[in-house]
Amino acid sequence: MFKVQELREIIKLVDSSSLDEFLYEVDGAKIKLKKNQGVVTEVVAPKVQTVVQQAQPQVQAQPKEEVKVEEVKPQAESAAPAASTSEAKPVNLDDPTLHKITSPMVGTFYAAPSPDSPPYVKVGDKVEPDTIVCIVEAMKLFNEIEAEVKGEIVEVLVKNEQLVEFGQPLFLVKPTE
Amino acid sequence: MNLSMKDKIIKRFLEAKDEPISGQQLADDLGISRTAIWKHLQNLQEEGYEFITIKKKGYKLIAVPDRVDAAKISSYLKTKRFGHTIHYFEEIDSTQRLAHQLARDGAKDGTIIIAEEQTGGKGRMQRTWYSAKGKGIWMTVIVRPDLLPHQAPQLTLIAAVSIVMAMKSLYTNFTPEIKWPNDILINGKKCVGILTEMLAEMDRVDGLLIGIGINANHEQTDFPDELQEIATSVAIEEKQKVDRAQLVAEILSYLERYTDEYIENGFKSIKQLWVEHSCTIGKRIRASTIREVIEGQAIGITDEGVLEILLDNGQIKKVYSADIEIQNQ
Repeated sequence: MFKVQELREIIKLVDSSSLDEFLYEVDGAKIKLKKNQGVVTEVVAPKVQTVVQQAQPQVQAQPKEEVKVEEVKPQAESAAPAASTSEAKPVNLDDPTLHKITSPMVGTFYAAPSPDSPPYVKVGDKVEPDTIVCIVEAMKLFNEIEAEVKGEIVEVLVKNEQLVEFGQPLFLVKPTE
Repeated sequence: MNLSMKDKIIKRFLEAKDEPISGQQLADDLGISRTAIWKHLQNLQEEGYEFITIKKKGYKLIAVPDRVDAAKISSYLKTKRFGHTIHYFEEIDSTQRLAHQLARDGAKDGTIIIAEEQTGGKGRMQRTWYSAKGKGIWMTVIVRPDLLPHQAPQLTLIAAVSIVMAMKSLYTNFTPEIKWPNDILINGKKCVGILTEMLAEMDRVDGLLIGIGINANHEQTDFPDELQEIATSVAIEEKQKVDRAQLVAEILSYLERYTDEYIENGFKSIKQLWVEHSCTIGKRIRASTIREVIEGQAIGITDEGVLEILLDNGQIKKVYSADIEIQNQ
């Protein structure tokens, strides 16, 4: 039986290779990978299940059963500027007069310091360059994002607790100077 | 190392171990008068240090108050940079808050802020952190690495590995384990919490403020009711009181070493250590955010430190932020 980590490694390797199909057999356990549009993986468990090491995750695949493994990429809900017409209002992302506050890393966007607090800023708020506008967090690393410019918040582009990408615009600010 | 005259004197005595030091020698070494030395010793006695005078040999330090002050930490210190500037307080609102201020004012890489008691210690999302007086290690380490902001989250996992390795090198009666991303548990109960704040611009990390809270010498009765079942301390698990200053110095050694290792060679070797000491990987877990609850098998972390969960429908979900509950201990 394969360990889940090993499976992951194999899938990753095959996924990044130019192979279309991959078959690997060891100690009666067999793994067959086929690449189509998506990644569909077939795991055939050995008839006699060998004892896996304690505390190892088990892929409890029944014989012949197909296990779909699909990489779920972090979905930034309004990542692409073109697609971010989420609230059905015009987005001024292309407006060169507006300053974009962007995320310096992938992580969770928090509009407020805690779930019970009001947001750091909202549309219409005046900000200074050092005004904290939000927090982006990953792996318990909290990054307070500052406005960088003096101006007025004209749009909040992401929702509270949404996953944001590196470089993704978070706010639009109309500079006052 | 930036030490006050008082701390320099204590450090000399701590390093001399049981050897007496003459007043004249101390005065010569430190460049002050014998009278000044005598005055410092008087003051130290009022703070709880005890000296005896040995005829023709000098003074010997026989009792040290149980504190994590600069003198005591630096007497154990083996680092190149970390802990060379120590801001020590009997009481502070939050070491993290002061760290912000010091970092903005240009504090050096490896500066630490440490206190016997925090009156406003904080956890994730402004949750309070219980910081009992004189029992724990409540400190912030200011790290100023040459990294880009997106390379910084790994440091929070590196901090956890550093503390685990420090504990393993000093103690023998327990095995610390890491719960993703960086809580440290002993026998399933929380012993260490780490919260890191970053000061950064798009293309540059100004500083990382690694806030570390360790339940060190707590007895079970020291914890408030709501923590009784879920918290433990190093002393409870080791079955004896521990030297907090020694643990701090050991943590700083590992933290400096692994931070440098990460900057030079990447996350690989430290990731390996993290996985080896993790109690999360391989377990069925529940990851909660305000938006959703994800259940599945924790199968690994990425090179960014992101947790990968295999869902029951076969999908693999990457988790950047969540509270983790381990379901089958």
